[in-house]
Amino acid sequence: MNNNNKTGNSNWNKVLFVDLSAGETFVEEISPQVRRDYLGGKGLATWYLEKLTRPLQSPVDPLGEDSPLIFAAGPLTGTAAPAMRGLALGVSPLTGGYVDSYYGGHFAQEIKYCGFDALVITGKAKSPVLLKIEDAQAELVPAQAYWGLDTFQANHQIKEDFADPTWKIATIGPAGENQVPYALISCEYNRHAGRGGLGAVMGSKLLKAVALKGTHPVGVADPDTFTRAVEQAREQLLQSPDIQALTECGTAATLWFSHEQGLLPVENYQKGTFDPAGLAEDAQRDKIWLRDTACASCPIRCSKVGVIRRGRRKSTVTDIVEYETAALMGANLGLSDIQEVAYLVYLCDALGLDGMSCGSVLGFAMECFEAGLLKPQDGISLAFGQKDYLDQVIEQIACRRGDLGQLLALGTARAAEKLGAEAEEKAVHVKNMDIPAFGPRSTPGMALAYLTADRGACHQRGFPINYEVLGEPFQGRELDRLAIKGKAPAVVHDQNYLAALDTLVKCDFGSFGISEDVYRALYQGAVGEELSQERLMQVGERIWNLSRRFNLRQGLDYSTEKLPKRFRDPLPDGPFKGHAFSREDEEIMLQEYYACRGWDSRGVPTPEKIEELGI
Amino acid sequence: MNIKMNNKEERAMRQKIATEFDLCTGCTTCQLECSFRVEGGYNPRLALLKLDQHQEGLYTLPVVCNQCQNAFCMKVCPAGAIEIDEAMGIPVVKEEQCTGCGMCRDYCPLGVVLLKKNGRAAKCDLCQGDPRCIKSCPTGALYLSNGGEQNEQQ
Repeated sequence: MNNNNKTGNSNWNKVLFVDLSAGETFVEEISPQVRRDYLGGKGLATWYLEKLTRPLQSPVDPLGEDSPLIFAAGPLTGTAAPAMRGLALGVSPLTGGYVDSYYGGHFAQEIKYCGFDALVITGKAKSPVLLKIEDAQAELVPAQAYWGLDTFQANHQIKEDFADPTWKIATIGPAGENQVPYALISCEYNRHAGRGGLGAVMGSKLLKAVALKGTHPVGVADPDTFTRAVEQAREQLLQSPDIQALTECGTAATLWFSHEQGLLPVENYQKGTFDPAGLAEDAQRDKIWLRDTACASCPIRCSKVGVIRRGRRKSTVTDIVEYETAALMGANLGLSDIQEVAYLVYLCDALGLDGMSCGSVLGFAMECFEAGLLKPQDGISLAFGQKDYLDQVIEQIACRRGDLGQLLALGTARAAEKLGAEAEEKAVHVKNMDIPAFGPRSTPGMALAYLTADRGACHQRGFPINYEVLGEPFQGRELDRLAIKGKAPAVVHDQNYLAALDTLVKCDFGSFGISEDVYRALYQGAVGEELSQERLMQVGERIWNLSRRFNLRQGLDYSTEKLPKRFRDPLPDGPFKGHAFSREDEEIMLQEYYACRGWDSRGVPTPEKIEELGI
Repeated sequence: MNIKMNNKEERAMRQKIATEFDLCTGCTTCQLECSFRVEGGYNPRLALLKLDQHQEGLYTLPVVCNQCQNAFCMKVCPAGAIEIDEAMGIPVVKEEQCTGCGMCRDYCPLGVVLLKKNGRAAKCDLCQGDPRCIKSCPTGALYLSNGGEQNEQQ
C-alpha cells in the first residue's frame, strides 16, 4: 500500500477497506464529487453505507456478512481545531436501522495520523482477529488471546504485547462478543461509541479490536486562516458560560436542571423528579473525582476521572458519571448512591454495554418485577431503590447467562415482546432505541426529535429543549413550551445543522460555544475551499434524506414513528404535572415535520426532494 | 563544549520549560502546536514533548526537554550539530550540520529529541524564546522557567 499522497489540505482522500471474509485490505480514493456533496465524517460514512448496501436485494442483517462497520474522522479531526471527534457508523442490531455513534478521546485522530479519513470494515473473520494499522500497513492479527477479556484488560494487554503504550485502541468487551444489541465500542479510556449496538456488529465479525499508530502529520491548506479560526474558536469556548459550566463539573450538574423541570427519567420514566443531591456534581467531586481530563485538542476538559474512595466499590478507577448515565442508571432505578451508580456504569464500560440502554432495560425489569410480570429467578429479584443484584444482572446480560440475563440481553423492546402486552406498555423506546434522559411529556419538540432522529430516540440529533425550556429564540422568536404545533421547523433545522457539523466531526459540547461561522472558517482554513452557510445546511439536509432512504429500506417507516405508551400517561409530578401526549398530538407533529422536510404524508422523501439534493 | 555543572551563573541564564503535571489534562494541544511548527502538520507523535499517561488515564505526565547542562544530545553528536545558543543558554540543533545519524535521539534520556520527516534532528529550542506549547496550554500546566535573575533584568 502506498500512502504518500500529499493533498495540501487536512483530508487524505483515502479510505482503508478491510474485507474480513477474504482477509484482505485495499485503499480507495474518495472522489471529488463525494467530498463536495458530503464533506467527510458523518456525511462520508453515510454515503459509504448507502453505496455498500443499496445493491442488496433485501434489508441488511445488522449482524450479517453484508453489514459494514465504518470508523470515520472528519476534515478537522486530528488538527488543532478544538473539540473534534470521530464516529462509528453501521446498521444497528437494536433498531435494525441506521446508527452513528460518536466518541472523543484520541482514536479518530489516529485514523488521520495513519493517513486515512475512514476505515470501512466488511465481511466476517473465521476466528477472532485484531485489525492492526501502523501508518499505511494494515494487518489482521489473531486475537484469540484477547477474546473474553473486558475492554480495559484487552486494551492493556494489546499495548503490552505491542510493547508500546501509545497505540490507540478501540475494543469490544464480552457484551460485544456475545452480540448483545446494545453493546458498545470502547475507544479508551471511558470514551465510547455507545449507542445502537455497534459493539455487537464488531462481535459478529469476530473483530475484537482495532489498534492504530500513525506518524503522518495532518496539514492544513491555509495556515493563516486556520490558525486565526482556531484562536477564535478557543476564545469563544473560553467566553461561553455553558462551556465554563462543563469545565467546572462536566454534565453532572444537568441533573438539577432536569429535576427542577420535571424532565428526569425516574423509576422507568414513570415520574420526572428525583432529588439529585446524591448523584450530582458535589457528591461526585467528594466521592470520586480527582482531576479534569480532556479529549484531543480540547480546552473544555469535561471529563473528571477519579477513584471511588470508600465503601464496597472502593479503589475502582472511573470517569465522571455523565448526566445520561447518572439519570438512567441512578434516578431511573431509584438509586442515589453515586458510588454504587459509578460502579455499575464502570461495569457496563468494562463489559462493553451501553450504560444508557442498560439503565433503561434494568428500569424496565424492575417495573416488571414489581408488577409480577417477572418472577424471582435463582434468588434474584430487582426493585426500584435497591442496588442488590444489579451488578450480577449486568454481568448476566453481557454474558447472556441465565433466563433473566438472556431476556434482558434482547433489549427493552424485544424483552417486552416476550413478556406480553402488559410488559410492552412499560417498554420506553422509539424504534427499539431506549429513550435518553430527558422525559418529553412537557417538551413536545423533544418528543418530535425522538420520533424522527435517524438512529431512533436520540437527544443529540436535535435538542429543542434549548428553545422550549431554556428560552433560546428560534429564528428570532420564542417557542411556546407546551405547544404541539410549530415545533417541526426547529427540529428540522437542528437536525440538518448538527448533521452538517458532524461531517467535521464536532463534539456536541464544542458546539455550545463555537459559532457556525467559526466552524466554517475552520473548514475553509483546513481544506482550502469556501463553505457557505447555505451549502453547509444543504449538506446536512442531504445526509438526513440519505439516511431516511436507508431506514425506509430497512423497514423503519412511518409506522415505527411512535412514542411509547408511557408518555400517554399523564406526568405525575413536577411543574408540568398532568401533561401527556395523545396519538393525535403525535400525528399533528409528524405531519408538520414531514411537510417541513418535503416528504410525503407517510414520511417518504419525494422524488423532487431527492433530485433537489442531488442524491 | 565544556559544560560547567551546576554553574549558578549559567543556570540563571538558561531558560527551560517547567511543568505542573497535576494541571495537565492530556489534551495534546501543546503537542499539536509543537508538531505544526516542527513539521508543518499536526500529530502529537511528531512533537518535541511527550505526554505519558498513567493509571488508566488517571494522570498525565508531560515530559519536556530539560535543556540539560550536561546534554547527552550535544555530547554524542558526531557532527557538532548541536551547540549552545548564546542568547538562551540552551543546546540547539544546527540543522545544516546535522547528518541525520540519530545518535542524539537514541541517547536523549527523556526521549524528546526526534528525527524529523526530512531526516534531520530536532529538539526543543523554546520556539526561539516564546514557546507555542506554553501559549496554547489551556490550564497553565507549562511555563517558562529562567532562573529568576534574568527575570529581574527584563
